[in-house]
Amino acid sequence: MTSSATTRADTRPDLDPRGPRFGAAITAVLLLVVVFLSLTGASVAALVGLAALGALFAWGAFAGAGRHPYSVLFRRFVRPRLSPPAALENAAPPTFAQGVGLLVTLTGVVLGLIGLAPAVGVCAAIAFVAAFLNAVFDYCLGCQVYVLLVRAGAFGRPVA
Amino acid sequence: MDPIIALSLVLALVAGATVLGLVWQARQGRAAVIVPGAPAAQGTPLTQADVGSPVPFGANGTLVQFSTDHCARCPGTHVLLAGLARQRPGVAHVDVDLTHRRDLANRFGILQTPTTLILDGTGRVRARIGGVPNGADLLQQLDHLTGSNHDQLSHHTR
Repeated sequence: MTSSATTRADTRPDLDPRGPRFGAAITAVLLLVVVFLSLTGASVAALVGLAALGALFAWGAFAGAGRHPYSVLFRRFVRPRLSPPAALENAAPPTFAQGVGLLVTLTGVVLGLIGLAPAVGVCAAIAFVAAFLNAVFDYCLGCQVYVLLVRAGAFGRPVA
Repeated sequence: MDPIIALSLVLALVAGATVLGLVWQARQGRAAVIVPGAPAAQGTPLTQADVGSPVPFGANGTLVQFSTDHCARCPGTHVLLAGLARQRPGVAHVDVDLTHRRDLANRFGILQTPTTLILDGTGRVRARIGGVPNGADLLQQLDHLTGSNHDQLSHHTR
C-alpha cells in the first residue's frame, strides 16, 4: 500500500545518476588544485581557478545539471562504455547542488577580490569536501541542505 | 608556504573528507530504535491527518517516508519501502513531501531526506532511519514490532 509519488518541481529530463558523480569527481580534483595554489601563495592563480569553477557551477545551476559541460562529456565518452543505469534520477537535486557550489565558490571569489586571499583556499576546501563526498560516497547535498532550508521557512507557510 | 607542507595539508584534507564520508556512510540507512516514553518518542501518536496522507495507516505498522522534491535518493527509497510494505500484511507506506510542511520537518527534527519513521499499529514512532533504508534491518524492526515469527527466521539466518 503506498501513496502516489511526490510531485516534481522540475520538468528537466531525468539523468543517469552516475553523470553528476562523474562531474563531481572532476570538480573535486580541480578544487584540490585551487586549495594547493592558495596554500603555496599563488593567490592570483587560485582566485582565477576558483572563479572558473564558480562559472562552471553557475552553468550547472542555471542551465541544469544535465546541460553542464561535464555532463555532456559523460554522455559522449563515459556512458557508452557503461552498462545502462539501474534507474534514472530527477535533475533537480544535482542542479540544486550546483547552486550550493556556486554560492560557496562565489563567496570565496568575492572575499579574495577584496583582499582576503586565504578565504579562496577555505571556500575551495569546503566545496571540495561536498564534491568529494558526492563523487566517492554518493552523498547528496540537496538531501541535507534543502530540508534545512525547509525548516528555516524558505518555502512558505505550512499547508493547513 | 613550502610546497611539501602545502601538499601534506591537501592530503590531510582528502583524508579528513574520507573519514567524514565513512562515518556518514556507516550511519546511513540503519534503524535507530525509539523506546516508548523516551523524549524522542514525540509524545502523541501520529495520525493520517497529521501528515495529510491520502493513504490510511496500517493496522500493524506504517512506514512514514519524509521526502522533498530536491532529494536524489527519495524516489528510489519510495520504491524500496513500497515493496517492503507489500511483504508484510497490515503495513502501509506513506510518502510525505516536506517541501511545504515546515511544521512536520521541525516536529520530527528532520536533518536529511529521506528520513523514515517506523510507526506501530497505534501510530507511535518506534524507530527512525536516516538515508536510504537498509531493507533487511527495516524488515527486522517491523517484525519485532508486530511480534511476527519472521523475526525468529531472520535471527536464524544470520
